[in-house]
Amino acid sequence: MKVTVEQIGREHEEELIVRCHDPGASWVEGVREAASGQRTVCGWRENTLRRLKLSEVFYFEVVDDRSFVYTQAEVFEAKEKLYEFEQLCAGSALFRCSKSMILNMEKIDYVRPSPSGRFEAVLSNGEKVVVSRKYVSVLKRMLGV
Amino acid sequence: MTVYGIIMLCTFFMCLLFNPASELPVVTFFGRIMVFTLIGLLSLAVYYSKEELTVKSWWIRTVLHLLLLEAVLLPLAHHWGFWKSGPDAWIYAGFILLAKVLLHLVEYGINAKTASQINEKIRKNRLEKRA
Repeated sequence: MKVTVEQIGREHEEELIVRCHDPGASWVEGVREAASGQRTVCGWRENTLRRLKLSEVFYFEVVDDRSFVYTQAEVFEAKEKLYEFEQLCAGSALFRCSKSMILNMEKIDYVRPSPSGRFEAVLSNGEKVVVSRKYVSVLKRMLGV
Repeated sequence: MTVYGIIMLCTFFMCLLFNPASELPVVTFFGRIMVFTLIGLLSLAVYYSKEELTVKSWWIRTVLHLLLLEAVLLPLAHHWGFWKSGPDAWIYAGFILLAKVLLHLVEYGINAKTASQINEKIRKNRLEKRA
């Protein structure tokens, strides 16, 4: 494949044009993601596949070997395992918060201690999720506490 | 260390209440306290689970843990002469319960402090983003 890079002046807006046979090809999607600087994950809901940006994900959860992606008000099913989500989220605001969940730090409204020796994180949509003591140190490090 | 400290505290108050004039053989006494601590820590395996515990299952395991501690520590303490008569046994059992409650309260206090630090940082980050 031919790759052309053209240097332009600061007065011009940067642009990426992809000339391809199939706009739906996976490599085109990859270029799109790289250009937008957004990592995404695919989620199924009512037989429809949707590409979700990591920034809109509230948390990932694995229940009975099935993976789910939770956003503000919707739940999607995904094919990835928890460790694959972990790899995908490396370096982002998402962190492992319990044995079965990866949580987006930016969606946490506040945390409070739970009598069960763990923490409860109240999210910006009002949902409450458990943060284990084991993983709270990760959250503290990410926040710089 | 928290378990060890709580056992030491309970022992101190028990001696203060029931036998203030007692003299302790240091090596034997500390050795026995260490055994108690070790049992206390090993018994925490009751909480082990591959899945994240629900609040209900946490409470069930907490009650089981208390029963296990009572079942193991009471006969051992009797064997070492920490209690002799029936009423003493009830008081000793009460101290084990108190030690467990104290441990959870200490844990809750530490968690409350951590939560407050995290919330403060979240609040600051939010203010910085708005500014």
